[in-house]
Amino acid sequence: MGEDRSRILNMLAEGKITAEEAESLLDALDARAAGASASAGPAIQGDPTELIEALPKFLYVKVDSENGDKVDVKIPVALVRSGLKLTSLIPAQAMDQINDSMSEHGMSVDFSNLKPQDIDDIVEALREMEINVDSANGDKVRVYTA
Amino acid sequence: MNVPPAILDLKIAPPDQRPVHLWLPLFLLWPFVLVIGVLALVLAILTDVVLLVLGQPYHHYTILLLRSLEALTDTHGMVIRIRSDKTAVDMTVQ
Repeated sequence: MGEDRSRILNMLAEGKITAEEAESLLDALDARAAGASASAGPAIQGDPTELIEALPKFLYVKVDSENGDKVDVKIPVALVRSGLKLTSLIPAQAMDQINDSMSEHGMSVDFSNLKPQDIDDIVEALREMEINVDSANGDKVRVYTA
Repeated sequence: MNVPPAILDLKIAPPDQRPVHLWLPLFLLWPFVLVIGVLALVLAILTDVVLLVLGQPYHHYTILLLRSLEALTDTHGMVIRIRSDKTAVDMTVQ
């Protein structure tokens, strides 16, 4: 229980959730705790664990370059999942061409080996992912989910 | 599956020019996409059946089509903002 509470507070501190979302999650946690302690209390409305797990809905990519250019992209995590599932269905011949093209551009990733379980694991891992890059020339890149 | 994207809001502001603001009601395309999707689905099912009968290893065009439509639907909520000296682009899929 304490772990869930601290996780919510951490997400609030990192700006991944709003104060209202944190409040509703903490309320849900309290309701679950009250329901667990009372032998004959009212039914719990909703499972806060599901809410916590469902929280990161977007993948954010923010780039601030030294020369003032800025890129801000907000991608639904559902789109990432759909894209990965779609990738695993591309015919082998087309996938070979894609892999060759990506390899030519320095990205040696073989998407043909992606399994459904791998996709779920990748999307699940995205929830905990946070990338911060501060380059020497002042460029900043930040990738995170919220 | 999310609600399909209903509106595409696109703003392009080139330097020293009047900004362009496009508000595209994608929901007007839904009936056409539905009709085309159903026709494509029937075609994909027939193709898969033929490929399966012929013993081809790849016969997943139906799933590929459904996943493509799902990916299209999941673009709902996507936001892209680009700011540079040359231009500023804001794209929101709602």
